[in-house]
Amino acid sequence: MGLVMEQRPPAMARAADGDPDAFSVLIQPLLDPAYRLAAVMLGDRSAAEDAVQEASVKAWRKLGQLRGDERSLRPWFLSIVANECRMARRQRWWSVVRVAEPQRPSEPGAGGLASDLKDAVLRLPADDRLPLVLFFYLDLPLDEVARALGVSESAARSRVYRAARKLRSDLTEEDVF
Amino acid sequence: MPRDDFKRELNDAFSRISGSPGSDLPARVRSALIDAPERRGPGWLAGVAAVAIAALIVGALFVIGPLRSGHSTVPVGVATPSPSVADSPTPAVSPSPSPSSSPTQSVYVCGSSTTLNGTQPALSALIDSVRGGTHAGYDRITIEFQNGQPANVQITPQSNATFTQGASGQQVQLQGKDGLLIVIHGADGHTAYSGPTDIHVGSGILEARQLEDFEGVVQWGLGLAKPACYHAFWLTNPNRLVIDVQT
Repeated sequence: MGLVMEQRPPAMARAADGDPDAFSVLIQPLLDPAYRLAAVMLGDRSAAEDAVQEASVKAWRKLGQLRGDERSLRPWFLSIVANECRMARRQRWWSVVRVAEPQRPSEPGAGGLASDLKDAVLRLPADDRLPLVLFFYLDLPLDEVARALGVSESAARSRVYRAARKLRSDLTEEDVF
Repeated sequence: MPRDDFKRELNDAFSRISGSPGSDLPARVRSALIDAPERRGPGWLAGVAAVAIAALIVGALFVIGPLRSGHSTVPVGVATPSPSVADSPTPAVSPSPSPSSSPTQSVYVCGSSTTLNGTQPALSALIDSVRGGTHAGYDRITIEFQNGQPANVQITPQSNATFTQGASGQQVQLQGKDGLLIVIHGADGHTAYSGPTDIHVGSGILEARQLEDFEGVVQWGLGLAKPACYHAFWLTNPNRLVIDVQT
Protein backbone atom coordinates (compact mmCIF):
# COMPACT_ATOMS: atom_id res chain seq x y z
CA MET A 1 0.00 0.00 0.00
CA GLY A 2 2.76 2.34 0.92
CA LEU A 3 4.36 1.62 -2.40
CA VAL A 4 1.20 2.50 -4.24
CA MET A 5 1.00 5.80 -2.43
CA GLU A 6 4.62 6.58 -3.05
CA GLN A 7 4.12 6.09 -6.75
CA ARG A 8 1.44 8.75 -6.84
CA PRO A 9 2.67 11.85 -5.10
CA PRO A 10 1.06 14.08 -7.76
CA ALA A 11 -2.32 12.55 -6.94
CA MET A 12 -1.73 13.26 -3.28
CA ALA A 13 -0.90 16.86 -4.03
CA ARG A 14 -3.89 17.33 -6.32
CA ALA A 15 -6.17 15.68 -3.78
CA ALA A 16 -4.90 18.02 -1.10
CA ASP A 17 -5.73 20.87 -3.45
CA GLY A 18 -9.33 19.67 -3.55
CA ASP A 19 -9.38 17.57 -6.70
CA PRO A 20 -12.01 14.85 -6.11
CA ASP A 21 -10.79 12.71 -8.99
CA ALA A 22 -7.28 12.69 -7.59
CA PHE A 23 -8.55 11.76 -4.16
CA SER A 24 -10.77 9.00 -5.50
CA VAL A 25 -7.75 7.55 -7.32
CA LEU A 26 -5.73 7.82 -4.13
CA ILE A 27 -8.19 5.98 -1.93
CA GLN A 28 -9.42 3.46 -4.45
CA PRO A 29 -7.01 0.74 -3.22
CA LEU A 30 -8.22 1.43 0.32
CA LEU A 31 -11.92 1.01 -0.37
CA ASP A 32 -11.83 -2.77 -0.23
CA PRO A 33 -10.14 -2.99 3.19
CA ALA A 34 -12.26 -0.07 4.40
CA TYR A 35 -15.41 -1.87 3.37
CA ARG A 36 -14.33 -5.11 5.03
CA LEU A 37 -13.54 -3.24 8.22
CA ALA A 38 -16.91 -1.49 8.18
CA ALA A 39 -18.83 -4.65 7.32
CA VAL A 40 -17.39 -6.53 10.27
CA MET A 41 -17.86 -3.60 12.64
CA LEU A 42 -21.44 -3.01 11.59
CA GLY A 43 -22.46 -6.54 10.66
CA ASP A 44 -24.38 -5.05 7.77
CA ARG A 45 -23.02 -4.90 4.24
CA SER A 46 -25.20 -2.13 2.93
CA ALA A 47 -24.52 0.05 5.97
CA ALA A 48 -20.83 -0.69 5.52
CA GLU A 49 -20.82 0.73 2.01
CA ASP A 50 -22.65 3.81 3.24
CA ALA A 51 -20.09 4.23 6.01
CA VAL A 52 -17.18 3.95 3.60
CA GLN A 53 -18.76 6.47 1.29
CA GLU A 54 -19.34 8.91 4.12
CA ALA A 55 -15.88 8.35 5.54
CA SER A 56 -14.34 9.02 2.14
CA VAL A 57 -15.96 12.43 1.94
CA LYS A 58 -14.84 13.24 5.48
CA ALA A 59 -11.32 12.06 4.74
CA TRP A 60 -11.18 14.27 1.68
CA ARG A 61 -12.18 17.28 3.73
CA LYS A 62 -9.63 16.44 6.41
CA LEU A 63 -6.81 15.56 4.06
CA GLY A 64 -4.97 18.71 5.00
CA GLN A 65 -4.76 17.42 8.57
CA LEU A 66 -2.96 14.24 7.57
CA ARG A 67 0.53 14.21 9.00
CA GLY A 68 3.37 12.00 7.89
CA ASP A 69 4.21 10.55 4.53
CA GLU A 70 1.90 8.80 2.11
CA ARG A 71 2.18 5.59 4.10
CA SER A 72 0.17 7.25 6.83
CA LEU A 73 -2.83 7.39 4.55
CA ARG A 74 -4.05 3.83 5.09
CA PRO A 75 -4.21 3.77 8.91
CA TRP A 76 -5.50 7.34 8.89
CA PHE A 77 -8.30 6.54 6.47
CA LEU A 78 -9.21 3.33 8.28
CA SER A 79 -9.45 5.23 11.56
CA ILE A 80 -11.94 7.59 9.91
CA VAL A 81 -13.92 4.61 8.65
CA ALA A 82 -13.93 3.11 12.15
CA ASN A 83 -15.19 6.39 13.59
CA GLU A 84 -17.90 6.51 10.99
CA CYS A 85 -18.97 3.02 12.00
CA ARG A 86 -19.12 4.06 15.64
CA MET A 87 -21.31 6.98 14.71
CA ALA A 88 -23.53 4.77 12.59
CA ARG A 89 -24.00 2.38 15.48
CA ARG A 90 -25.01 5.20 17.77
CA GLN A 91 -27.65 6.48 15.46
CA ARG A 92 -31.23 5.76 16.24
CA TRP A 93 -32.17 3.69 13.25
CA TRP A 94 -29.32 1.37 13.95
CA SER A 95 -30.78 0.25 17.25
CA VAL A 96 -34.08 -0.38 15.50
CA VAL A 97 -32.40 -2.58 12.92
CA ARG A 98 -30.51 -4.46 15.57
CA VAL A 99 -33.72 -5.44 17.30
CA ALA A 100 -34.67 -7.32 14.17
CA GLU A 101 -31.42 -9.31 14.11
CA PRO A 102 -31.96 -13.00 14.75
CA GLN A 103 -30.81 -14.45 18.03
CA ARG A 104 -27.45 -16.05 17.75
CA PRO A 105 -26.21 -19.11 19.55
CA SER A 106 -24.64 -18.55 22.93
CA GLU A 107 -21.24 -19.44 24.32
CA PRO A 108 -18.77 -17.55 22.17
CA GLY A 109 -15.87 -19.82 22.86
CA ALA A 110 -17.67 -23.10 22.43
CA GLY A 111 -16.92 -25.31 19.49
CA GLY A 112 -14.32 -24.99 16.82
CA LEU A 113 -16.63 -24.58 13.84
CA ALA A 114 -16.26 -21.54 11.68
CA SER A 115 -19.92 -20.66 12.17
CA ASP A 116 -19.35 -20.58 15.92
CA LEU A 117 -16.43 -18.27 15.43
CA LYS A 118 -18.46 -16.02 13.16
CA ASP A 119 -21.20 -15.82 15.79
CA ALA A 120 -18.62 -15.15 18.45
CA VAL A 121 -17.13 -12.34 16.38
CA LEU A 122 -20.54 -10.77 15.95
CA ARG A 123 -21.09 -10.89 19.69
CA LEU A 124 -17.89 -9.05 20.41
CA PRO A 125 -18.18 -5.33 21.13
CA ALA A 126 -17.29 -3.33 18.03
CA ASP A 127 -14.21 -1.94 19.72
CA ASP A 128 -12.91 -5.46 20.16
CA ARG A 129 -13.65 -6.39 16.59
CA LEU A 130 -11.67 -3.43 15.32
CA PRO A 131 -8.15 -4.51 16.38
CA LEU A 132 -8.84 -8.06 15.24
CA VAL A 133 -9.97 -6.95 11.80
CA LEU A 134 -7.02 -4.63 11.41
CA PHE A 135 -4.44 -7.14 12.51
CA PHE A 136 -5.78 -10.43 11.19
CA TYR A 137 -8.23 -9.73 8.39
CA LEU A 138 -6.52 -6.72 6.84
CA ASP A 139 -3.10 -8.03 7.84
CA LEU A 140 -1.81 -4.63 8.89
CA PRO A 141 1.50 -4.50 10.72
CA LEU A 142 1.22 -3.61 14.38
CA ASP A 143 2.49 -0.07 13.89
CA GLU A 144 -0.33 0.62 11.44
CA VAL A 145 -2.85 -1.05 13.74
CA ALA A 146 -1.64 1.29 16.45
CA ARG A 147 -2.04 4.36 14.26
CA ALA A 148 -5.51 3.28 13.15
CA LEU A 149 -6.52 2.78 16.77
CA GLY A 150 -4.82 5.97 17.89
CA VAL A 151 -2.80 4.19 20.57
CA SER A 152 0.78 3.12 21.12
CA GLU A 153 2.09 -0.03 19.50
CA SER A 154 2.23 -1.87 22.82
CA ALA A 155 -1.33 -0.85 23.59
CA ALA A 156 -2.41 -2.04 20.15
CA ARG A 157 -0.70 -5.35 20.81
CA SER A 158 -2.58 -5.68 24.08
CA ARG A 159 -5.89 -4.89 22.47
CA VAL A 160 -5.38 -7.44 19.73
CA TYR A 161 -4.46 -10.09 22.25
CA ARG A 162 -7.28 -9.27 24.65
CA ALA A 163 -9.84 -9.38 21.87
CA ALA A 164 -8.44 -12.63 20.50
CA ARG A 165 -8.65 -14.17 23.97
CA LYS A 166 -12.33 -13.34 24.07
CA LEU A 167 -12.75 -15.64 21.11
CA ARG A 168 -10.35 -18.33 22.21
CA SER A 169 -9.58 -18.21 25.89
CA ASP A 170 -6.75 -20.71 25.59
CA LEU A 171 -4.70 -18.61 23.18
CA THR A 172 -1.24 -17.66 24.28
CA GLU A 173 0.50 -14.51 23.12
CA GLU A 174 2.75 -16.62 20.95
CA ASP A 175 -0.31 -18.09 19.22
CA VAL A 176 -1.54 -14.62 18.34
CA PHE A 177 1.66 -12.87 17.30
CA MET B 1 -4.07 -23.75 18.94
CA PRO B 2 -1.45 -22.79 16.37
CA ARG B 3 -1.64 -19.21 15.27
CA ASP B 4 -2.15 -20.10 11.60
CA ASP B 5 -5.22 -22.17 12.40
CA PHE B 6 -6.71 -19.43 14.51
CA LYS B 7 -5.95 -16.82 11.90
CA ARG B 8 -7.39 -18.92 9.10
CA GLU B 9 -10.60 -19.63 11.01
CA LEU B 10 -10.94 -16.05 12.10
CA ASN B 11 -10.39 -14.68 8.62
CA ASP B 12 -12.89 -17.15 7.28
CA ALA B 13 -15.40 -15.85 9.82
CA PHE B 14 -14.62 -12.26 8.89
CA SER B 15 -14.96 -13.08 5.24
CA ARG B 16 -18.36 -14.63 5.72
CA ILE B 17 -19.54 -11.59 7.64
CA SER B 18 -18.26 -8.99 5.23
CA GLY B 19 -18.40 -10.62 1.81
CA SER B 20 -16.93 -8.39 -0.85
CA PRO B 21 -17.82 -4.81 -1.56
CA GLY B 22 -20.13 -4.10 -4.46
CA SER B 23 -18.33 -3.44 -7.69
CA ASP B 24 -19.93 -0.02 -7.77
CA LEU B 25 -18.39 1.16 -4.51
CA PRO B 26 -15.57 3.14 -6.16
CA ALA B 27 -18.11 4.84 -8.43
CA ARG B 28 -20.34 5.61 -5.45
CA VAL B 29 -17.47 7.10 -3.54
CA ARG B 30 -16.32 9.13 -6.47
CA SER B 31 -19.82 10.38 -7.05
CA ALA B 32 -20.14 11.38 -3.40
CA LEU B 33 -16.84 13.25 -3.61
CA ILE B 34 -17.97 15.13 -6.67
CA ASP B 35 -21.27 15.93 -5.03
CA ALA B 36 -19.64 17.00 -1.78
CA PRO B 37 -20.43 20.68 -1.47
CA GLU B 38 -17.26 21.72 0.27
CA ARG B 39 -13.90 20.92 -1.19
CA ARG B 40 -11.64 22.20 1.45
CA GLY B 41 -8.03 22.13 0.61
CA PRO B 42 -5.21 24.57 1.03
CA GLY B 43 -7.01 26.93 -1.35
CA TRP B 44 -9.89 27.15 1.05
CA LEU B 45 -7.54 27.70 3.97
CA ALA B 46 -5.81 30.41 1.98
CA GLY B 47 -9.20 31.99 1.39
CA VAL B 48 -9.99 31.99 5.09
CA ALA B 49 -6.58 33.38 5.87
CA ALA B 50 -7.09 36.10 3.27
CA VAL B 51 -10.44 36.98 4.85
CA ALA B 52 -8.83 37.25 8.26
CA ILE B 53 -5.96 39.35 6.95
CA ALA B 54 -8.32 41.57 4.99
CA ALA B 55 -10.47 42.06 8.08
CA LEU B 56 -7.40 43.00 10.11
CA ILE B 57 -6.27 45.47 7.48
CA VAL B 58 -9.72 47.06 7.27
CA GLY B 59 -9.91 47.26 11.03
CA ALA B 60 -6.46 48.81 11.31
CA LEU B 61 -7.19 51.35 8.59
CA PHE B 62 -10.51 52.19 10.16
CA VAL B 63 -8.90 52.79 13.54
CA ILE B 64 -6.14 54.86 11.98
CA GLY B 65 -8.75 56.98 10.31
CA PRO B 66 -7.86 58.09 6.85
CA LEU B 67 -9.68 55.40 5.01
CA ARG B 68 -13.21 55.28 6.35
CA SER B 69 -14.66 54.46 2.99
CA GLY B 70 -11.78 52.45 1.72
CA HIS B 71 -13.50 49.18 0.98
CA SER B 72 -12.37 49.25 -2.59
CA THR B 73 -8.75 49.12 -1.56
CA VAL B 74 -9.21 45.91 0.31
CA PRO B 75 -8.91 42.86 -1.88
CA VAL B 76 -12.21 41.38 -0.85
CA GLY B 77 -12.38 39.37 -3.99
CA VAL B 78 -9.18 37.62 -3.08
CA ALA B 79 -10.71 36.56 0.18
CA THR B 80 -13.61 34.77 -1.41
CA PRO B 81 -13.13 31.04 -1.32
CA SER B 82 -13.15 29.43 -4.70
CA PRO B 83 -16.65 28.55 -5.78
CA SER B 84 -17.88 25.12 -4.93
CA VAL B 85 -21.09 23.31 -5.53
CA ALA B 86 -22.43 24.43 -2.18
CA ASP B 87 -21.42 27.98 -2.80
CA SER B 88 -23.64 28.23 -5.81
CA PRO B 89 -26.38 30.60 -4.74
CA THR B 90 -28.89 29.23 -7.17
CA PRO B 91 -30.03 25.75 -6.37
CA ALA B 92 -31.00 25.12 -9.92
CA VAL B 93 -30.23 22.30 -12.25
CA SER B 94 -26.54 21.74 -12.39
CA PRO B 95 -25.81 19.01 -14.86
CA SER B 96 -22.43 17.66 -13.97
CA PRO B 97 -21.46 14.94 -16.39
CA SER B 98 -19.30 12.42 -14.70
CA PRO B 99 -17.14 9.85 -16.37
CA SER B 100 -17.65 7.45 -13.52
CA SER B 101 -19.43 4.23 -14.20
CA SER B 102 -23.00 4.03 -13.09
CA PRO B 103 -23.91 2.06 -9.99
CA THR B 104 -24.62 -1.55 -10.68
CA GLN B 105 -28.09 -2.92 -10.96
CA SER B 106 -27.91 -4.47 -7.50
CA VAL B 107 -27.87 -1.04 -5.85
CA TYR B 108 -31.12 0.06 -7.38
CA VAL B 109 -34.58 -0.56 -6.10
CA CYS B 110 -36.95 -1.23 -8.98
CA GLY B 111 -40.69 -0.82 -8.70
CA SER B 112 -41.02 -0.82 -4.93
CA SER B 113 -41.24 1.85 -2.28
CA THR B 114 -38.53 2.91 0.10
CA THR B 115 -38.63 4.69 3.44
CA LEU B 116 -35.59 6.47 4.76
CA ASN B 117 -35.69 7.50 8.39
CA GLY B 118 -33.83 10.58 9.46
CA THR B 119 -31.06 9.66 11.83
CA GLN B 120 -30.97 12.94 13.69
CA PRO B 121 -34.22 14.57 12.72
CA ALA B 122 -34.67 18.27 13.28
CA LEU B 123 -37.98 19.61 14.48
CA SER B 124 -38.47 20.78 10.95
CA ALA B 125 -35.65 20.23 8.51
CA LEU B 126 -35.26 23.31 6.36
CA ILE B 127 -34.63 22.60 2.72
CA ASP B 128 -32.10 25.07 1.41
CA SER B 129 -31.15 23.58 -1.91
CA VAL B 130 -32.55 21.32 -4.58
CA ARG B 131 -30.22 20.25 -7.35
CA GLY B 132 -30.37 17.95 -10.28
CA GLY B 133 -27.48 16.45 -12.16
CA THR B 134 -26.76 13.96 -14.88
CA HIS B 135 -24.12 11.28 -14.55
CA ALA B 136 -23.07 8.32 -16.63
CA GLY B 137 -25.84 5.78 -16.12
CA TYR B 138 -28.01 7.76 -13.77
CA ASP B 139 -29.59 11.11 -13.00
CA ARG B 140 -29.38 12.49 -9.51
CA ILE B 141 -31.67 14.72 -7.52
CA THR B 142 -30.19 16.14 -4.32
CA ILE B 143 -32.28 17.83 -1.65
CA GLU B 144 -30.16 19.58 0.92
CA PHE B 145 -31.26 20.40 4.45
CA GLN B 146 -29.92 23.25 6.49
CA ASN B 147 -30.44 22.14 10.07
CA GLY B 148 -30.77 18.38 10.24
CA GLN B 149 -32.53 15.52 8.58
CA PRO B 150 -36.30 15.25 8.27
CA ALA B 151 -38.17 12.62 10.25
CA ASN B 152 -38.53 10.32 7.29
CA VAL B 153 -38.80 10.16 3.55
CA GLN B 154 -41.08 7.90 1.59
CA ILE B 155 -40.27 7.21 -2.02
CA THR B 156 -42.90 5.56 -4.12
CA PRO B 157 -42.69 4.67 -7.79
CA GLN B 158 -45.73 5.01 -9.97
CA SER B 159 -46.56 3.94 -13.50
CA ASN B 160 -47.41 7.41 -14.74
CA ALA B 161 -46.17 10.95 -14.37
CA THR B 162 -49.45 12.37 -13.07
CA PHE B 163 -49.28 13.70 -9.54
CA THR B 164 -51.71 15.40 -7.18
CA GLN B 165 -50.73 18.80 -5.86
CA GLY B 166 -51.07 18.84 -2.12
CA ALA B 167 -52.51 22.29 -1.71
CA SER B 168 -55.08 22.40 -4.48
CA GLY B 169 -55.73 18.74 -5.07
CA GLN B 170 -55.27 19.37 -8.75
CA GLN B 171 -53.64 16.86 -11.01
CA VAL B 172 -50.40 17.86 -12.63
CA GLN B 173 -48.78 16.10 -15.51
CA LEU B 174 -45.00 16.02 -15.47
CA GLN B 175 -42.85 15.08 -18.39
CA GLY B 176 -42.29 11.38 -18.87
CA LYS B 177 -44.23 8.14 -18.73
CA ASP B 178 -43.43 7.07 -15.20
CA GLY B 179 -42.95 8.76 -11.90
CA LEU B 180 -41.45 8.75 -8.47
CA LEU B 181 -43.18 10.43 -5.55
CA ILE B 182 -40.99 11.75 -2.76
CA VAL B 183 -42.81 12.56 0.47
CA ILE B 184 -40.67 14.21 3.12
CA HIS B 185 -42.13 14.34 6.62
CA GLY B 186 -40.80 16.86 9.09
CA ALA B 187 -39.49 19.29 6.50
CA ASP B 188 -39.99 22.85 5.37
CA GLY B 189 -39.46 23.85 1.77
CA HIS B 190 -40.14 27.58 1.98
CA THR B 191 -38.23 29.13 4.90
CA ALA B 192 -34.71 28.62 3.62
CA TYR B 193 -35.38 27.72 0.02
CA SER B 194 -36.41 30.14 -2.66
CA GLY B 195 -35.06 28.33 -5.68
CA PRO B 196 -36.96 26.78 -8.53
CA THR B 197 -39.70 24.31 -7.82
CA ASP B 198 -39.77 22.87 -11.30
CA ILE B 199 -36.48 21.46 -12.52
CA HIS B 200 -35.49 19.70 -15.70
CA VAL B 201 -32.67 17.33 -14.98
CA GLY B 202 -31.71 14.92 -17.75
CA SER B 203 -32.73 11.91 -19.77
CA GLY B 204 -33.76 9.81 -16.76
CA ILE B 205 -35.37 12.38 -14.52
CA LEU B 206 -37.14 14.47 -17.11
CA GLU B 207 -38.74 16.80 -14.62
CA ALA B 208 -38.77 17.34 -10.86
CA ARG B 209 -41.51 19.47 -9.41
CA GLN B 210 -42.50 20.42 -5.89
CA LEU B 211 -46.04 19.26 -5.23
CA GLU B 212 -46.60 20.23 -1.63
CA ASP B 213 -45.03 22.24 1.15
CA PHE B 214 -47.51 22.40 3.97
CA GLU B 215 -47.56 21.60 7.68
CA GLY B 216 -44.23 19.89 7.72
CA VAL B 217 -44.78 17.77 4.66
CA VAL B 218 -42.88 18.47 1.48
CA GLN B 219 -43.59 16.47 -1.65
CA TRP B 220 -41.70 16.38 -4.88
CA GLY B 221 -42.70 14.46 -7.96
CA LEU B 222 -40.24 13.16 -10.49
CA GLY B 223 -41.32 12.59 -14.07
CA LEU B 224 -39.27 9.72 -15.46
CA ALA B 225 -38.51 8.40 -18.90
CA LYS B 226 -39.06 4.80 -17.85
CA PRO B 227 -40.15 2.76 -14.81
CA ALA B 228 -38.09 3.80 -11.82
CA CYS B 229 -35.01 1.94 -10.73
CA TYR B 230 -33.57 4.15 -8.06
CA HIS B 231 -31.19 4.31 -5.15
CA ALA B 232 -31.91 6.66 -2.26
CA PHE B 233 -29.51 7.44 0.54
CA TRP B 234 -28.35 10.13 2.94
CA LEU B 235 -25.20 12.15 2.83
CA THR B 236 -24.19 14.37 5.71
CA ASN B 237 -22.27 17.59 6.30
CA PRO B 238 -24.49 19.06 5.10
CA ASN B 239 -27.44 16.73 5.29
CA ARG B 240 -28.60 15.70 1.87
CA LEU B 241 -31.18 13.32 0.54
CA VAL B 242 -29.77 11.84 -2.64
CA ILE B 243 -31.84 9.91 -5.14
CA ASP B 244 -30.17 8.35 -8.13
CA VAL B 245 -32.45 7.22 -10.93
CA GLN B 246 -31.03 4.83 -13.44
CA THR B 247 -31.04 6.06 -17.02
